[in-house]
Amino acid sequence: MFLVGSFFLFAAFLITTCIFVIFSKNPVNSVLFLVLAFLNSTFLFILIGAEFVGIILAIVYIGAVAILFLFVVMMLDIQITTLMFNIKRYIPLALLFAGIILAEIIYLTVFKTSKVNIDTFIRSKNNTEQIGDVLYTNYFIDFQLSGIVLLLAMIGAIVLTHVYRPTIKRQNIDSQNSTTAKDRVQLVKIKPGEGIKDD
Amino acid sequence: MTSLTYNHFFILSLIVFIIGCFGLFLNRRNMILILMCIEIILLAANINFVSASVFLNDINGQVFSIFILTIAAAEAAIGLAILVIYFRNKGEIDITQINQLKD
Repeated sequence: MFLVGSFFLFAAFLITTCIFVIFSKNPVNSVLFLVLAFLNSTFLFILIGAEFVGIILAIVYIGAVAILFLFVVMMLDIQITTLMFNIKRYIPLALLFAGIILAEIIYLTVFKTSKVNIDTFIRSKNNTEQIGDVLYTNYFIDFQLSGIVLLLAMIGAIVLTHVYRPTIKRQNIDSQNSTTAKDRVQLVKIKPGEGIKDD
Repeated sequence: MTSLTYNHFFILSLIVFIIGCFGLFLNRRNMILILMCIEIILLAANINFVSASVFLNDINGQVFSIFILTIAAAEAAIGLAILVIYFRNKGEIDITQINQLKD
């Protein structure tokens, strides 16, 4: 009973915040509601016992992606625009989608009531250990490939946003590495009373 | 209705997915809101994967959810980079002008 009550609380919050993301006039409010939506889905994941994915969602989405969005929104000078929505164009498509979704929901709730109870599962290991057992063995290639995808995204973002300015003076790394101490420091013997002659 | 079933989570993820799609259709001006709607859609996919994984007692769904998270982070980074250079060139982020990128 506690599970169901918590589920409906967090689900209602999740849907409400998702709607606010779309309908906010100011993009900063949208990003903050997006953070709240991710936080609610984290609560939902923890509620059904998927703690690791829940915490990863909180760290990756709230800590990285949403803050990236917030930086971009605040950096760019975006004027608050009104929604451009012509409802008559989308009525047939919307009715089609609404019919499909309604049919799916009715099919699920009437004919396919699942009797699985998550409390009856016996887990010998905790959630993180279970994921680690699979992720680093069966999905090893995929794990490495996702690392490559992240590297490509990082390089791509840097290459896209980098501005090359030829007027800025830069270090010449090659010539700096190829110099030796003799090029830079000169040992001069000074006789008393003569000083240094400038060549 | 006394116990939590997979149907609850499936319908929830369906509703969140529909809200994301609705935002994509509704919003025709602001490019950053379109990226946020894509994040909402990926969140719906994540909810579906994780809840199915829990209710079927199979851990592979949660592993796939982690991969979806990775791809979503990469996509957000690239999308925001494109947004920044678009804003630098045009001075606005109106989505209706974006077909000029091909020139």
